[in-house]
Amino acid sequence: MSASVLFKDVEALKQCAKGSTWRVATHFRIVKYNNRVFPALPKHDSIELGHIRKMIRYLGIDRDCAKKILPV
Amino acid sequence: MPAYPLMFTFRDAVSGNGFLAGVTLSGRALMVHEDDTWWLYGVRPGAIAETGQTPQETFLRFRNTYKMVLFDFAEESADFEAYKKEVERFYYEPDAEEERRWMEAFQDLRSGKAQPEAPFSSLPMESPETRPTQIAVECLTAIGTRFTPTDNVPDLFSRAA
Repeated sequence: MSASVLFKDVEALKQCAKGSTWRVATHFRIVKYNNRVFPALPKHDSIELGHIRKMIRYLGIDRDCAKKILPV
Repeated sequence: MPAYPLMFTFRDAVSGNGFLAGVTLSGRALMVHEDDTWWLYGVRPGAIAETGQTPQETFLRFRNTYKMVLFDFAEESADFEAYKKEVERFYYEPDAEEERRWMEAFQDLRSGKAQPEAPFSSLPMESPETRPTQIAVECLTAIGTRFTPTDNVPDLFSRAA
């Protein structure tokens, strides 16, 4: 089983991505930031770190900031 | 353990609000072993990742996640034109870092610096030059659309070599 973190902790990334929007679609959470869209964040309560690492890379979220919040 | 540069082709028919869309995508993804499990990171499209206990499980989950993203787009698009625009944006938004990692993995394998292990060693191999990335989003309900069995495209995964 891959390492996971609770979604409420993932949401704390908002402080590293000021102005980002987070919403829920039928199958996934959709996060917008930097004029980019990440449409595949799982809706589970616990999210595997690979999904979060991918989202951080893709959206260009400040990694130093993210590392202070999550083990990514 | 090396990273594996993979190529794939998927074709889907997706029902939307008053339309049926055909989406055919030839893309790239990078398979790596992280956190004691397998991860498949999308390169093109870049905004997708999946995990599994085995490479095969990871392929299947990646395939399903991709399809579910197309379904979410369909639910949120008022018509075919909006859907096409959203799918193409998803495809064309690059992930420069993932592309660089894919290219490095490809060069390591092509030069012999890295050796593929099973099950990747038995995957079909193709040159990226022979399978360029591309996407086609078609309105299958458009007047005059003709259908033939040759339109069917099986899922394809191969290793870039």
